[in-house]
Amino acid sequence: MKILAPLRHSDEVDALAAAGAGEFYCGIAPPGWEQAFGSAAVHRRSARSAGVPDLADLRRIVARAGGRPVFAALNAPSYPAGAIARLVEFGRALVADEGIAALIVAELELVLALREAGLASRVHVSSLATCRNPGAAAFFRDLGVARVILPRHVTLAEIEATAIPGLEWEVFALNDGCTFEEGTCSTTHAFRPYCLDDRVAEAPNRVDERYAFWRWTLDNCGSQTSRGYTLGPCGLCALPRLAALGVASLKVVGREAPLTRKVASVRLAAVAVAAAARGGTREHVRDAVVAERGAPELCAGAHLCYYPDVWADGLPAPRGARAPAAASAPPCRPAATEAGHGAGGPSARPVALSASALRRGRPC
Amino acid sequence: MEYGLRLTDPTVIPPDPRAAFPAAWRTLLPAGRAVALYFGTEFCEDRLPEAAEAGALCTAARAHGLEPTLATPLVSPDGLRRIDRLLAALVARDQRPAVVFNDWGVLGLLRERYAHLPRRAGRLVNRSLRDPRGYRDAPDGGATHDASRYARVRALLRDMGVAALETDADLEGGYLGDGGDAQRPLRRALHLPYTYAASGRGCPLKAALYPDGGGFAKAFADPCPAPCRGKPLAARRPDTALPHWRAGNTLFYELPRGAAGTWLDRADRIVVHEAPAP
Repeated sequence: MKILAPLRHSDEVDALAAAGAGEFYCGIAPPGWEQAFGSAAVHRRSARSAGVPDLADLRRIVARAGGRPVFAALNAPSYPAGAIARLVEFGRALVADEGIAALIVAELELVLALREAGLASRVHVSSLATCRNPGAAAFFRDLGVARVILPRHVTLAEIEATAIPGLEWEVFALNDGCTFEEGTCSTTHAFRPYCLDDRVAEAPNRVDERYAFWRWTLDNCGSQTSRGYTLGPCGLCALPRLAALGVASLKVVGREAPLTRKVASVRLAAVAVAAAARGGTREHVRDAVVAERGAPELCAGAHLCYYPDVWADGLPAPRGARAPAAASAPPCRPAATEAGHGAGGPSARPVALSASALRRGRPC
Repeated sequence: MEYGLRLTDPTVIPPDPRAAFPAAWRTLLPAGRAVALYFGTEFCEDRLPEAAEAGALCTAARAHGLEPTLATPLVSPDGLRRIDRLLAALVARDQRPAVVFNDWGVLGLLRERYAHLPRRAGRLVNRSLRDPRGYRDAPDGGATHDASRYARVRALLRDMGVAALETDADLEGGYLGDGGDAQRPLRRALHLPYTYAASGRGCPLKAALYPDGGGFAKAFADPCPAPCRGKPLAARRPDTALPHWRAGNTLFYELPRGAAGTWLDRADRIVVHEAPAP
């Protein structure tokens, strides 16, 4: 498994490579894009805050990467009329002239256009394409693409069923969750993330509070540890299983993040990869991560887990369901976190918004 | 114009399909007759019907001269198997619903095992922007309807035996084409009046079934008894005046009526949603 690191400038390459990055990805807009297409996104992020400044810097990135693959994101969910031809030409130049190993693409129209141009084998299908089952995977394999990036909201069991042969597989490993399935969120961050202002219903209730807490964890808890590590979504304890499934690449999210955060995240992922490579279990990986990162309480409750089913034997069941089998070493011990959201069990205090109220169509 | 009906109570068919719209919409829409009865779900695999319920709806639809149309969502591997079982059961009962797919795996299933069922590309196949805040400065929308957009997708769908495209009104236009793509153009359906804004697996209504510390990401794959059945919850946002609803795992808003106008000329069918539903 390689660690896939985000980039926005050539100055970041050396530090990320030293931290353990095996691959890089970045966003870049074709020259003249803004004049032709205004503020339409090329790569799902602001070109100014998350994109590589220009082709000259991209060339420096590829040179400094020293043979490590560099991927370019052209992964907006949709493009304006006339943009596809421009992006195909740009993509062809990136691959043929600039040393870009593959193009990360979300929109099917662009995938098909790149395929027409003979570039399908240099396409990585973005997580925004929402490939969630083996049938969808077969669809993309038949298009001839090289890799599929699985969406954030999948379980390990689903990855196991979906990751069919004939494709490379990439999964999310660290940072920056999404409230909604990214591929089925039809809004844009250009107006501010839509999820930030989402409430369950008109009247406040305790589910809203829990919903806000979940969204806060997805947003990296708005902070970092004293050792400089992000308190965001983390899938590192799942590495032993992901390795067994043949996952090729672990995505560290955050092209627009400061370099210090990127380096710390890659370093942490490298610690986990090393622990897994030594044959470590999920517990070994967790202990290695905690030793590096600190803040063991963050693992309590599995609140930050990208793949919480790695600890499925310790997760809360729905009220009224049978308690799960006791875990051998559950991370979900019922110790309250800083935010006061302890991991409950089936007997935990019920929430105020009852299922019967929901069936009646109104919150309590 | 033909109409597809997505009704709160699918056993009560209105004589005029426009009766299923909020009153303010009725005069805006052209006259037409209902031709299809929609059921199932486009957004949540836990809302897929059981075979008996789906069979009864197929029978009811046929009794009213309507084509039963089963909507299906993006699905997990388990969901894909569930749809396979559902379709097998319906076919075994000699039911032949049209199937709306939103997942490439479901399309593959239809092509491989249920090739005789009419297949329709659902509104999640179109990933164009629908952000309700995009209507703040342009209340009638800014869709350009350039038919060159998605021309390859439409050709691919035609080649895969798809009969029709379905979509919400989006902010860009063009997804439905102009009907002139080929000798056998795809039929075009427009969903009104509720447009989906965002959907996902971290359903807060499902989370309400769990104690503190449970639900959300820890319950993505858990089966859900669907407490969202019933009325959708009204939701209010500080950044848009458009009415919003939470229907299970999905947020919908009512499309500005002015924005629907330019889409109507490009549609052969309007799918009427009596209420927002996942």
